[in-house]
Amino acid sequence: MGKLITIDPVTRIEGHLRIDVEVDGGAVKNAWSSGTMWRGIEAILQGRDPRDAWVFTQRICGVCTTVHAIASVRSVENALGIEIPLNAQLIRNIIISAHALHDHVVHFYHLSALDWVDVTSALKADPVAASQLAEKISTWTGNSRHELAAVKARLEGFVKAGQLGIFQNGYWGHPAMKLPPEVNLLAVAHYLQALDVQRKANQAVAILGSKTPNIQNLAVGGVANAINLDSPAALNMEKLYQVKTLLDEVTAFVQQVYLPDVAAIGGFYPDWFRHGAGVTNYLAVPDLPADAKMSRFALPGGVIWNGELRVAHPIESWNDDYLRQNVTESIARAHYDGAWSKGPWEEETVPKFAGEWKPGTPAPERYTWVKAPRLEGKPVQVGPLAQVLVGYIQKHELTTRWVNAALAAVKAIHHIDLPPTALHSTLGRHAARAIRCAMLAEQAQEQWKALVANVGKGDVAIFTDPMGKDPRDPKGRTFLQRIKEDQGGVAKGVGFHEAPRGTLSHWSVIETDGKAMKLKNYQAVVPSTWNAGPRDAKDQKGPYEASLVGNPIADPKLPLEALRTIHSFDPCLACAIHTVDAEGEEVARVKVL
Amino acid sequence: MRFAVIGIGNVLTGDDGLGPTVVRVLDAAYDLGPDVEVIDAGTPGLDLTAYMAEVEALVLVDAVKAAGAPGELRTYGKDELMKKSPVLAMSPHEPGVREALLNADFIGVAPRVVRLVGVIPATVEVGCALSPAVEAAVPGAVAQVIAELKAVGVVARERKPPRAPDLWWTRKPVA
Repeated sequence: MGKLITIDPVTRIEGHLRIDVEVDGGAVKNAWSSGTMWRGIEAILQGRDPRDAWVFTQRICGVCTTVHAIASVRSVENALGIEIPLNAQLIRNIIISAHALHDHVVHFYHLSALDWVDVTSALKADPVAASQLAEKISTWTGNSRHELAAVKARLEGFVKAGQLGIFQNGYWGHPAMKLPPEVNLLAVAHYLQALDVQRKANQAVAILGSKTPNIQNLAVGGVANAINLDSPAALNMEKLYQVKTLLDEVTAFVQQVYLPDVAAIGGFYPDWFRHGAGVTNYLAVPDLPADAKMSRFALPGGVIWNGELRVAHPIESWNDDYLRQNVTESIARAHYDGAWSKGPWEEETVPKFAGEWKPGTPAPERYTWVKAPRLEGKPVQVGPLAQVLVGYIQKHELTTRWVNAALAAVKAIHHIDLPPTALHSTLGRHAARAIRCAMLAEQAQEQWKALVANVGKGDVAIFTDPMGKDPRDPKGRTFLQRIKEDQGGVAKGVGFHEAPRGTLSHWSVIETDGKAMKLKNYQAVVPSTWNAGPRDAKDQKGPYEASLVGNPIADPKLPLEALRTIHSFDPCLACAIHTVDAEGEEVARVKVL
Repeated sequence: MRFAVIGIGNVLTGDDGLGPTVVRVLDAAYDLGPDVEVIDAGTPGLDLTAYMAEVEALVLVDAVKAAGAPGELRTYGKDELMKKSPVLAMSPHEPGVREALLNADFIGVAPRVVRLVGVIPATVEVGCALSPAVEAAVPGAVAQVIAELKAVGVVARERKPPRAPDLWWTRKPVA
C-alpha cells in the first residue's frame, strides 16, 4: 500500500469536502471523496406550502442561492402542470445567465486560478513584456504596461510588508508551477479586475431579482416583476437598459479576458489535458426555455456514455421520462440507515453515523454524508464539461462556435493542436467552463432582446396563479381540483436547472385536498453530489474519486496536483454539505447529527 | 452607500441564523437613515468582498466560535479579523469573512472600519430556530450594532411604531 494523504478541507470558501488519496510512485493510486455534514432540507420542508419552498431552498447554500430558488419553483410548477408566461421565463433566463457569469468568473480567478498561477513569480515580471504578450492574445484595454506596472508595485508593497494577504496559502515555488513571470503578472492583474466584473454581473441579478445574494422576485407561477415601461416603480426601460449595460461589460471581460486567459494558461500545462478525465459519462439537461410551454430551449441537454463523442440520449424536455425514471441515489457507502438505491421521490433519508474515519487509515465501508447519484445505475459527471460536450456533438451552433474559438486560441498562442477529446481532462473542465461562460454571455444578451421584443408587443403577463384555474383544463377546474380528482390528490414534479456546477434537480411530492397543498417529500439532487459522491454498492467510484486516479503528485506533502483536479470541478460542498466547524487551518472536527 | 450592516449565517442551521435575525430585528425597530444599508446576506463566502468594496464602514453580525458560554457576545475589529496567526476561531463561515477581507484589502477596497458583532452559538444543527440562550442574546447584539454604528457617526432612530421583523424561516408548517 502506498502513502495515504488526507486533504481536508479542499474548498477555499464554503463547504467541507475531504479527499483521501493513496499515492505510490509519484502518482495517485486510489482516492476517496467525502463530505462531512448532513443537511436535511426535506426535514425542513415537509408539511409546508410548496409555494414557500423556494425561499427556504435558496438558503441551502449561500453561494448557489439563485439556482436553488429557480429549481424549486420549477419543481412545483412541474408537479402542478403550470405553464408560466413567456416574460417570466425570459426574466428568469437573464437572472440565470447573469448569476452563472458571476459564478464562473469568481471560480476561475478567485478560487482556482491560484492552482496554476504563482503570484510570487509575478514579482519577476517585466510589465512592458507582459503588456506586449497580452496584446498578441487579446484586445482588452486593461493590459497596458501602466496598469501592469501598478499591479506589480501593489504586489511588491504587500510582500515588503511581510504579508501576502489573501495569497498567503498558495503553493508558491512548487515544481508543478510552470507559467513565465509575465503570464503570472497578467493573471494577477485580471484577478483584481475580475472582482469588479463579478460585481457587475451580480448587480444585473439584483436589478431583476430585487436583491442579491437572495433574490426576491420569484413566485411559483412566474415572477413578481411588474412590467410597465413607463413607470418608475415597475420593470421599465431604464432598468432594462441598466441590465444591458452591465451585461455588455461582463461580456467583454468574458470574451476578451477569461477565455483567452484559460487558453494562455492552459497551453503551458499540456500534460493537464491528459490527466483527470475520470468518469466520462456525462449528463446535461436543457435550459433557458424559449417559450412558455418549455418545449424549446436555447441550451441543449443529453447523455454521453464512456467518453464516446456521440449522444446516446438527447434530452429535449424536462418531462423526459427516461431521465425522471432513471435517476437514483445510493446510500450503500454513506452514513444513512439502510443500503438502498432509490429514486428521489421515494427517498426517506435517515442519518446513521457509522463512525469516524481517522485520516491516514484505510477507508471504512461507509465514509461520507454525500449520497451517490446514479443514472441507469452508472456514475455520471455533470458541469460545464458535460454541458459543452453534449452541445458540441449535437452540433449546437453556439457551443460549436465557442469550442472552436477556444481550441483556436490555444493553437494561436501555443501552436498546439488540441482535439476535442482533450476536453476529457482536468484542464478540459476549466476550458469548458470558460466556453460555457462565453456562451452564457451571448445568451444573456439574446434573452434580454427577446424580453424587450415581447414586452414591446404589449405582453406584460408575468404570473399564472397556482391556486387559480388551470387554463388548459377542459373542465375549467383549478390546478388543485384537477390534481385531487384526476391524480388522487398527489402530484410529483421535478425542477431541472443546468446550474454553473451542472445538473441540479429538485424533486417534490405534493399533496392536495383540492383547496390547499403541502409538501409530502422534497429532495435536492445537487451537482456537487453527482460529482463528489462516493462509491456505490457496486464499488463504482464517483467522478471526483475516479478523476484523481493517475494524477501525478510531485511532493506528497504539497499535493497541489490533486487540488488542481478537484478544483477543476468547482466544488461547492456547501450545497451537498455545509461547514459547521472548520477551525482555520486545522483539520476540521465535525459535529455529527 | 457609506455604511452597511450585514448579517451572516444560515437560517436553516439553528443558531447560525443569528446574523440574519439580528439585522432583521434591527431594521424593523430602527431607522438608520439613507447612508446605511442593512443586508441579510446568508452565507456569501468570498462574495462578501463585493459588499466590502462599496462602503467605508461595515458592521458584520455572525455566530462566532470562541471560548465562552452560548449566548455570550464578542466583538472583533478589522486587525483581529485579518490576522493570520493565531487563527481566530470565528464563525462557521470562516474562512469566508477573513478571506473576503484580505481579498478586499489586496484589491485596495477594504472598508476603513470593519467590526464584527458575534454571539457564541449553542447548536448549529439543522433547524429553523435559535436556541434559548442565543435568542436571549439578540437584543444585546442589536444594541452592540447600534453602538458600533454610533462610533462611526450613524444615529439610529427608533421607528414609531416599530415594524414586525420578517423572520419567515421561524414560521411553522401549516400542516
